[in-house]
Amino acid sequence: MKTANQPLLSLKGITKQFGSLTAVNGVDLDVCPGEIVVIIGPSGSGKSTLLRSINFLEEIEEGTIVFEGNEIGYVTSKHGRRHLDAPHKICALRSEIGMVFQHFNLFPHMTVLGNVMEGPLTVQKKSPEQAREIAVDMLAKVGLSDKRDVYPATLSGGQKQRVAIARALAMRPKLMLFDEPTSALDPELIGEVFDTIRDLGKEGMTMIIVTHQMGFAKEMADRVIFMEKGSFVAQGTPEDFFANQMEHDRIKSFLNRIL
Amino acid sequence: MKFFTGRVVKRAILLFSCLLLLLASVCFATDYDQLFTDANDAMAQGDLPAAIALLKKVEFEKGDESGAFVRSRMQIARLQFALKDMEKASSAAKEVLAVYPDNSEALNFLASVKQEQTPRYQVFIQDCLRFLPQLLKGAVMTITLVVCIILISPVGGLLIALGRISTFKPISAVCWFFIWLFRGTPLLLQLFFIYYGLPSMGITFKPFTAAILGLGLNYSAYLGEIIRGGIQSIEHGQMEAAKAIGMTYWQAMRRVIIPQTYKRLMPPIGNEFIALIKDTALVSTIAMVELMRSADQMFNAYFNVTALILAALIYLLFTTIFTFVFEKIEVRAGIYENR
Ligand SMILES: Nc1ncnc2c1ncn2[C@@H]1O[C@H](COP(=O)(O)OP(=O)(O)OP(=O)(O)O)[C@@H](O)[C@H]1O
Ligand SMILES: [Mg+2]
Repeated sequence: MKTANQPLLSLKGITKQFGSLTAVNGVDLDVCPGEIVVIIGPSGSGKSTLLRSINFLEEIEEGTIVFEGNEIGYVTSKHGRRHLDAPHKICALRSEIGMVFQHFNLFPHMTVLGNVMEGPLTVQKKSPEQAREIAVDMLAKVGLSDKRDVYPATLSGGQKQRVAIARALAMRPKLMLFDEPTSALDPELIGEVFDTIRDLGKEGMTMIIVTHQMGFAKEMADRVIFMEKGSFVAQGTPEDFFANQMEHDRIKSFLNRIL
Repeated sequence: MKFFTGRVVKRAILLFSCLLLLLASVCFATDYDQLFTDANDAMAQGDLPAAIALLKKVEFEKGDESGAFVRSRMQIARLQFALKDMEKASSAAKEVLAVYPDNSEALNFLASVKQEQTPRYQVFIQDCLRFLPQLLKGAVMTITLVVCIILISPVGGLLIALGRISTFKPISAVCWFFIWLFRGTPLLLQLFFIYYGLPSMGITFKPFTAAILGLGLNYSAYLGEIIRGGIQSIEHGQMEAAKAIGMTYWQAMRRVIIPQTYKRLMPPIGNEFIALIKDTALVSTIAMVELMRSADQMFNAYFNVTALILAALIYLLFTTIFTFVFEKIEVRAGIYENR
């Protein structure tokens, strides 16, 4: 049953191992509808792995993912072994959770419009006209209506990332995951991508954002989480986090390094 | 008695004169032999004009049972031919014809002089016109084979490539084995096995079927490896992005991954298809009459190298067209990369 206070996403004890390396170690996280969660942390701390686990791009060893009150993504076989749910179910789940990558990963052989249409067209089996309509809307939203018919190779990094955001939004996701969306961008292009994300936030989109841009975290986040060695070390509202948690030595040294 | 004596004398005279005649003719004959021997010596020393001068001494005589005259004139004709003096060569042969109008040696000689006097290119064109119909018939078969394999092998190759990268072990193992087998043995052997070998196991094919089967399997194996490489060269993020918007593995393959391999695959696949044009020549060994076989038949029938040259030109025409077409396709397939 969905209630007002029910979290949209609830992670319990998420653990992901690569061989002997534990990339994510028993992470718990509740994300309420409309909430913007920013995750920071040093390289290799497991931020990407956590986001990818939410989207089933990584298969987790332990823990549960509850989305809109339902436990999703994993089933236990007769032999008691846990494994990913059937592919079509996983695909259906993924289409409700948008993901934006550090390196954009636009489809280079499709035009900008083609990229954004692709999800509605192929996954949701919408008619080309409907898909086109959605794509045109999404491109307008990220301010790239004039780039519709060009190929991604001709775009700047900032424009590429905005197209990638439009592509994810075209699926009408309930949750958006951003994995360092501005890390591959020249500094002067970071602003336009964050403007787009900010607009999304204003529309009430629920988002989990991994970033090293502290200014953005301070401004936008409802909650900032510091992750290290696969675990959440500290979290709080931006005010609280940047005022109080700074006493945490490791956080201080991390922030000093990146600021 | 007187009568008897007279007859004896008469007989003796007759006998004597006969002997004399015989001696004379023997003397004359030996004379010509000597001439021929001397002429041979002159030829051996490379002095052809001297040989010709010696041979000219042989005169025509009524009867000419020894054939010395014909022999000498034909020899002169050949020597003049060797000296590239076609006028004198023909006139020597004509001397023979003047006496023996039906002499086939002289007639043939005059024909070949005429052949020699027509320009080379004209001879070549004549040969071409003679061989072309048959060769073109063969070329049509070659193109038929090439087109069939171009249609079949990319499909086979794609299936093998997808099988190879499948995470389902039995399928990837079968595909690995297939590639290993067909890339690891000569195409000629594969064709022999299918056409000559399988009948002993009760499976017989028509030559065309066997050719398509052999070439198809072989080229599917090669293209399979190439296509697998192409698929695996596509950046991993593309599959992730496709999955992230909810695509299934096969949707991602069909819509995102495979289309991106086209441009990368065009050059190696183009090379394979150019090799294919030439490899079709191998099916001439399993009773298929295609371009190579036609050329071989013409060459053996006429012992004329023009047939082979012509076949080479047709192969070159095909490979050149292919190279050109594939370059165009490659540019088109990569249109999205142009800035
Ligand atoms: N596919 C994989 N196979 C093996 N190890 C992996 C794999 N992916 C990630 N790891 C390891 O898991 C750990 C966490 O990686 P992850 O990419 O989640 O870190 P991150 O916090 O996103 O770092 P960064 O800031 O550099 O992106 C790292 O030690 C990394 O080497
Ligand atoms: Mg990362």
